[in-house]
Amino acid sequence: MQPFIVTALFALLASYFADLQSVQACAVCLTGADGSVADAYDWSVLFLMTTPYLVVGSIAGGLAYAYRRAAVKKAHDAAAEEAPIHLAWNQKESGR
Amino acid sequence: MARISAARRLIDDQEPPAAVKETAFGGGPPPGPPVQANAPVLNNAKLAVIMMLGAEAMFFAGLIGAFIVFRLAAEQWPPPFQPRLPVGVTGVNTLILLISAFTMHFSVRAVRAGDIGGSRRFLTVTAFLGTLFLAIQGFEWIKLVHFGLTVSSSVYGGLFYTLIGAHGAHVLGALVWLVVVYGQARKGRYTSKDYNGLQICGMYWTFVVALWPALYGLVYLY
Repeated sequence: MQPFIVTALFALLASYFADLQSVQACAVCLTGADGSVADAYDWSVLFLMTTPYLVVGSIAGGLAYAYRRAAVKKAHDAAAEEAPIHLAWNQKESGR
Repeated sequence: MARISAARRLIDDQEPPAAVKETAFGGGPPPGPPVQANAPVLNNAKLAVIMMLGAEAMFFAGLIGAFIVFRLAAEQWPPPFQPRLPVGVTGVNTLILLISAFTMHFSVRAVRAGDIGGSRRFLTVTAFLGTLFLAIQGFEWIKLVHFGLTVSSSVYGGLFYTLIGAHGAHVLGALVWLVVVYGQARKGRYTSKDYNGLQICGMYWTFVVALWPALYGLVYLY
């Protein structure tokens, strides 16, 4: 018999006799799906899950607003630059 | 004298040399459009502070997450035999800190309008209000320690001092920054065109102030 199969069978047998309560991998699972501790963890996880999206979203929104406002201001300034003033830049145009 | 006579010769007596004539009276292609500075929308310092504030927000989110776990899991909150927190005094303290955000805003607005003296005055008021906030907090902490609420007395005490202490440390840091900015303002560092240092300090101060009502509501009222 292959050593891998022997090991797998032994693990299966050991798990049958093991006390399931003592081999919980997650500390939160000890209290089960219900209970105030599980609820508390749920709310905390939800809060921590949404916060990065809120933070990054706020920063991205703020940057988008700043860039949009700057683009509008630049367009406004460019329109103001095109004032109907033509300065003579050579002798012929100056008429002197 | 020699220069004047040379200029007079150019003007009165003789035809100017071709190079001078061309430069002075035209020739060549017409001048291009004026060069415009390609200034960034947000300068690096402001961007760095925004990133730092994002990291700070996540830091406090972690602490608040821990508070939520212990608060919601507890059968009774505050736990028995633990002193109650001073809600009223801290409420007044919250108002003081909120007013300091407005004075900071007025300081930035004043320097933008060119009123440097007014900006400095508002900075002084902001620093005073921040110091008052910290002093009242410190006074309340001393009383709480006397009543038996310490970091090691319970989870309640540990959470309280960690959350509120972290915020207090941030207020202290912001206050030091404010004093440095005030010193710069006294030296005439800021003008109506260049007031970045003051503005980013204002951003940090606003963050610290905006965080406090959330912490007050969570730790003191909830």
